[in-house]
Amino acid sequence: MKFATADAAKPRRARASEAVILFCIANQTFAIAADAVQEIRSTDSLGGTAIEIEQAEVPKVRHLVERARRTYYVVSGCAHFGLRVTRPTLVLILRQIRAAVLVDSIERMADVATIHPLPRGFQGQERKWYRGLTYLEDRVIPVINPGGFLTVEEFARLDQAAAVSIATQQLESAVQG
Amino acid sequence: MTGAAMTGAEQASKHSYVLLHVGNRRFALRSELVEELAPPVRLHHFPNTTALIAGVIVRRGRIVPVYDVSRVLCGRESSVHRFYLVARREFGNETEASAIPVNGECELSNSELIPAQDGQAAHFMGSLDVDGEKIQVLNLEALVSPRAESAHGAANAEVRA
Repeated sequence: MKFATADAAKPRRARASEAVILFCIANQTFAIAADAVQEIRSTDSLGGTAIEIEQAEVPKVRHLVERARRTYYVVSGCAHFGLRVTRPTLVLILRQIRAAVLVDSIERMADVATIHPLPRGFQGQERKWYRGLTYLEDRVIPVINPGGFLTVEEFARLDQAAAVSIATQQLESAVQG
Repeated sequence: MTGAAMTGAEQASKHSYVLLHVGNRRFALRSELVEELAPPVRLHHFPNTTALIAGVIVRRGRIVPVYDVSRVLCGRESSVHRFYLVARREFGNETEASAIPVNGECELSNSELIPAQDGQAAHFMGSLDVDGEKIQVLNLEALVSPRAESAHGAANAEVRA
């Protein structure tokens, strides 16, 4: 057994780095690959176009937005990660997934050289939530797996609920018109 | 007696053990599993649902999960730990460093293992008699594996951050 002294992460050879966006939800910092995000909007700017979904099967999704003829389901970051409820100010609209994520703030962008695999001791939902972990300026930050926000089954249920919500809204608009 | 003729229990008794403090109790861990006693480096938290994992530490360029075993061993979270005992967990043919918060007072013992009695918790593989004190030997895998965590009554779905 060795009795070790204070330690820092091993210096590494220069490698190809990956651009990430650091964002916060309930004072917790996360990273997501910059090329996984199509657009960042304020919640205020989407307020008029968001459609409320009346369904309870996927509680972390309460709204959808239409962007460029695609329907994006708006996932509450707090609910997804089981964090305390905060007031999100921004929406990350993802590029390859029909999901958008409510977050509190953007911290900044950064280049990360290494994404460590999640240790195998982690056996819970976090295996779907994270691509891995990165060590950045003395902080270990989870790197988001964009595909982990909603499962195929959740998308299917949301598509059904969304069809009803959109039809209801169109009907209400027609009646008012 | 030759090595080939020794029984499993006799071979087990040949191990040396690291004696460690968790909370205000002493336990033992087979020394061959132990990598190092690490100083009180920063514990990093992020949301997860794995029972017992309190966060991670960074050691020698690796990210090491920290298991707060005091909840299981002492019935409550310990606030007195000052160090991390880094030990190896086995995942198939591979191993992974894992850390347990301890209070730093660790020593080596070559006492003989007294096998666990029927009815003893699975996370104890037996005990040692050290200067008249009975010290239970931890089965690390049984202590921190998810199946064992369920048996401890920890909620797997609970999110910690």
